[in-house]
Amino acid sequence: MTTETFFTNEVIDLDLLPKYEDIQLSRPHPNYWKIICINLLIFFGLLGIALGILLFFVDEVKPNAKWIIPLYLALLAIFFLLFRASFKKRGYAIRTHDVIYKSGIIAESTTIVPLNRIQHIELNEGIFSRIYKLGSLQLFTAGGQTGHIHISGIAIDDARRIRDLLLKKLDLLENPTIELNANE
Amino acid sequence: MNNDFSKPQRESAFGIVVMGAHTMLKIGKASFFLFIIAFVKMSSTSFTYLILGISAIIIFSFIFAYLWYLKFTFFLDKEKQEFVVNKGIFNRDQVIIQLDKIQQVNINQNILQKIIGVYGLKIDTAGAHGEEISIKAIDETSAYNLKEHLLNSRTVTEAQSEIENENHKIAETPFLRISAWTLFKVGLTSNYGQSLALLAAFFYTVIYEGRQLLDAFKINKDEIQSTVTGMLTIVTVFILIACLLIVLLIINLVRTFYKYFELEISEHKNTLLLSSGLIAKKNTLISPNKVQITKYSQNYFQKKMNMLNMSLRQAHFGQSKKGHEMQGNTLEIPGCNPTERDELLKMILGEALLKGKTFIPDWRFLNLPIFFKLILPVVTFLIIAFNVAELKPYIGVSITYLIIGILMIYISYRRHRVSVSRDFIIKTSGIWDISNEIMVPNKIQAITTFQYPWHKGVDVGHLTLHTAAGQIHFKYGNYTEIKQLVNYWLYQVERKNENWM
Repeated sequence: MTTETFFTNEVIDLDLLPKYEDIQLSRPHPNYWKIICINLLIFFGLLGIALGILLFFVDEVKPNAKWIIPLYLALLAIFFLLFRASFKKRGYAIRTHDVIYKSGIIAESTTIVPLNRIQHIELNEGIFSRIYKLGSLQLFTAGGQTGHIHISGIAIDDARRIRDLLLKKLDLLENPTIELNANE
Repeated sequence: MNNDFSKPQRESAFGIVVMGAHTMLKIGKASFFLFIIAFVKMSSTSFTYLILGISAIIIFSFIFAYLWYLKFTFFLDKEKQEFVVNKGIFNRDQVIIQLDKIQQVNINQNILQKIIGVYGLKIDTAGAHGEEISIKAIDETSAYNLKEHLLNSRTVTEAQSEIENENHKIAETPFLRISAWTLFKVGLTSNYGQSLALLAAFFYTVIYEGRQLLDAFKINKDEIQSTVTGMLTIVTVFILIACLLIVLLIINLVRTFYKYFELEISEHKNTLLLSSGLIAKKNTLISPNKVQITKYSQNYFQKKMNMLNMSLRQAHFGQSKKGHEMQGNTLEIPGCNPTERDELLKMILGEALLKGKTFIPDWRFLNLPIFFKLILPVVTFLIIAFNVAELKPYIGVSITYLIIGILMIYISYRRHRVSVSRDFIIKTSGIWDISNEIMVPNKIQAITTFQYPWHKGVDVGHLTLHTAAGQIHFKYGNYTEIKQLVNYWLYQVERKNENWM
């Protein structure tokens, strides 16, 4: 068992291994963009109302209106653009042994969670998501805050199916280990 | 309440009160300052509005709590071995926890729960949120019953750990013992940062308390200040600094001796027993396969003395409460020599450490830190200095800062390495203290790769390995190589279903 033989083995292996970066990713549901818009509009609506009240009632703020309003509009535009960019970048894929999730606003980050490391699964439906029949799926690992995947904007039926599929796979993964332990 | 929890059931009706109070407290805390302002600013006539507002919050809290109570159900799925909770008033959330993933079940009571006579039950998994499920109100028998049911599937592993506990009582000869002389050397060469922080905290409290005292006794502050500044000549400043350094070293020594006196490590069947301590002897029992990241570090002095510090990082079990992440349970072993290190590593990792192919970062590693930590502050300083006459003598200082800074960042770049072999991932980093973090690919929980769009052309990217005891970053690597490594590690993790804990 010399290191060299192993090492040459690896080099061959590396190119034959399935490549995560070449996987075709599923995009979030187009309706999810509407939910993002609704959320943004609510946020900016509230902010606008607050600013409006300030501008209208507080005299000291009034002279600043000429830069507060353009700033507000610019922020609105920037947020919409950023969210649009991040929406376009999102994608997920479920492979036999892992889940891949890609996201990012400017930079692209890809997180991969092997199925046998998933601790638990959460399926959330927000109030607006329910209107559009969407859901978001969260996969938690023991890797802490950053080591978990949060996939939003999946059609609820798909999300349920994925959840059941993952749970089934988790069960399959669990059972052989129990048998192995019993044998030891 | 039935006892096997197989049908969906609500928590105890008292839960409405507990939840209501909880919500009220939350809103109260959030709007506390608002109330204060309202109270101070408002004229007495609008006092009634305040009362109305408060009662509205109370009523709202209890309506919220009632709805919460109606929607919150939980049950135990015996066949699938899952614990399922449905909750959410407007949202519909379902939390499913597999029974064997449960790390801890806590049963506790706060004051209100004590008055009403119910218990709270919290379930921890090793997941990110710490507490995944919290049942606010449940009567005592049900609580313990449920705990029993939830932890039932783990009886096998618990029995195992008990056996391990018994094993360790049969004393064996330790294979590693740190002598007092080594500890002395350790105290002189490491952990300055912690001691410095301790010292700073001490001085802060002294000065703060001293001020309070002066205020209390109405002693003239100016007088003291003038005498202090009068004493401050260059000679006294140097003496003061020397004293501080000596104090720092002494604190360091005392701390090291207090914590690690007579540190011994011995091995029993499958576990390591660490014992140390001057006054209170602390015994820690760990099984090597629970260690997620093994780290050893060495600085220049330590290298000359042929010794190094090791630390073993274990998984944190849902201790990340209140948002911030716990850095896991870390066991420190100071003052090993290289042979002891190799022996310990062999014990933990199962085989001798082997350095594999080394990956080095791109020179772009230097760009951001040099710009943000050096060029930006120095240029800002120079611009101010050329306009403000008093700052001019310090221009030389800023140049020294620039040179030292560039040197340090360059060293950190030269040290930033990751070495990958079939069984190990070794990450090297550091400027003064050079640390090696060693992990087994099997301990990987998730992998993140990361690339800025402007690095696409030059094929540079970043890598983060998430483990249960923290993350390992490799920055500015060759992205093609990183992707290859990721595929390889995924293959290693997914090929067999080995336990990571």
